[in-house]
Amino acid sequence: MSPHENRPREDGLPQDPQDMKLMIHALVDGELDAAAALAVERRMAADPALAAEHARLVALRGAVASVPRPTVSDDFLARIAAIAEVKDAEDTAEPPAAKAAPLPSAQPRGQVIAMQPRAARWYNSFDWRQMAASIVLTAFLASGATQWLATADNGSDSFAVAVANGHRRSLLAATPVDIVSSDRHTVKPWLDGRIGVSPPAPDMAKDGYALLGGRVEVIGDRPMPALVYRHHEHLITLVAEPRQNEAKSVPVADNLSAGGFLQVHWTDDAFSYWAISDAERPALDDFVARFRAAIIANPAAGGPG
Amino acid sequence: MAGAPGGGTVLSEKMLAARFAEVVLPHLGDALSLARWLTGNQADAEDVVQEACLKAHAGIAGFAGGNPRAWLLTIVRNASYTWMAKNRPRSIVAVGDLTDLDDVSPPPDSDADSPEAALVAKANSAAVEAAIAKLPQAFRETLVLRDINGLSYREIAAMLGVPQGTVMSRLARARALLMKELGGRHHEPA
Repeated sequence: MSPHENRPREDGLPQDPQDMKLMIHALVDGELDAAAALAVERRMAADPALAAEHARLVALRGAVASVPRPTVSDDFLARIAAIAEVKDAEDTAEPPAAKAAPLPSAQPRGQVIAMQPRAARWYNSFDWRQMAASIVLTAFLASGATQWLATADNGSDSFAVAVANGHRRSLLAATPVDIVSSDRHTVKPWLDGRIGVSPPAPDMAKDGYALLGGRVEVIGDRPMPALVYRHHEHLITLVAEPRQNEAKSVPVADNLSAGGFLQVHWTDDAFSYWAISDAERPALDDFVARFRAAIIANPAAGGPG
Repeated sequence: MAGAPGGGTVLSEKMLAARFAEVVLPHLGDALSLARWLTGNQADAEDVVQEACLKAHAGIAGFAGGNPRAWLLTIVRNASYTWMAKNRPRSIVAVGDLTDLDDVSPPPDSDADSPEAALVAKANSAAVEAAIAKLPQAFRETLVLRDINGLSYREIAAMLGVPQGTVMSRLARARALLMKELGGRHHEPA
């Protein structure tokens, strides 16, 4: 016995030999954190009995792992998958049986005896494989479709959601704008300098819509200018997407809602606009009408500078 | 907000089917393993797993994340015991209270009585299967959940509704019994 044996252990491991064995099991099972595993390994290094126990456990684990697992047969998988897609299973199960029926009469009698069982078996397995394949495919399509609906859908819906998310984020942030200014001569150059594009930014304070400033939204990999207006207690975010040739024109304001906010979408000359707010619908509509009127009345506000 | 509820219910059918495919189908092998060891044979295991999958499908909406394998295996375990109670009422022993089993069982053997690692490693899989099959139910269940299904102590404890220490001691005892069996010590005349 080395003198170390008599010193109280400070590795946090149990003194009881039975409990210490459990720690060896836990080590083999990967249940110990790095510190405890290190402590157990140190004990094993000092104690051949523990090391032998560890070796036995590892060997036993290997032996148990070598026990053959039940295989999931194709038809069993199909049966289980059919639970989720009951209708599909019924549809695909019918046709092969119908096809198999006329087969015997079409064959010379001598061959029928030889062929029929094999044909039946072939149909049978084909049936199950087809069902399994169709079900797996259906499940795949269903999950794919769900994801597609959730992420891509059609462009405008996901865009509307992205605009809504940006608006919500801005409400939670310390400030809803990156550049604070009620002066379009400050906001527009700032946006121009950041992302090379800036929408018309009329100040409509006299109408009750004060320009607070602007920020940059990133939607679908593209940075876009966003203006923020205040109307009483409500903020209105106006995202201006530079129009591309293929983008459809929405000359009449289109009322939407996304993420719990009201949205209005329309297009003017160079931009596709998305206005979003938690304001009442009439207020938002009024804002849109006044914004569009302001741009037409004062095109300079839309020009560079 | 207004559009959400309508769209949600239309999607949910598809989503549940997709979730079933994600949560249940990948773990059918494990489900069959567990059912095979709890019921004793492969054919019954398929019936039990199918029954369990019906329940899993009905309850898929209640799956709240976590380990899908542990979730499915919990259902398979319950289905196994339900099936056993119905089809083999005599073979079922003390499923409810197992504390007495834990107390009565001998503690793990002392080192002197244990076979060498090499002997255990040499055991063929048929012998291992036979040895596992001979384990008392509670030990077999714990060993299978850990060494064949690969669940963690915590997951097993949650599934069996016992403290983690009980899982550890059952596992140690199950392994000690297996080692004794596989070490080539034929104490019993049978």
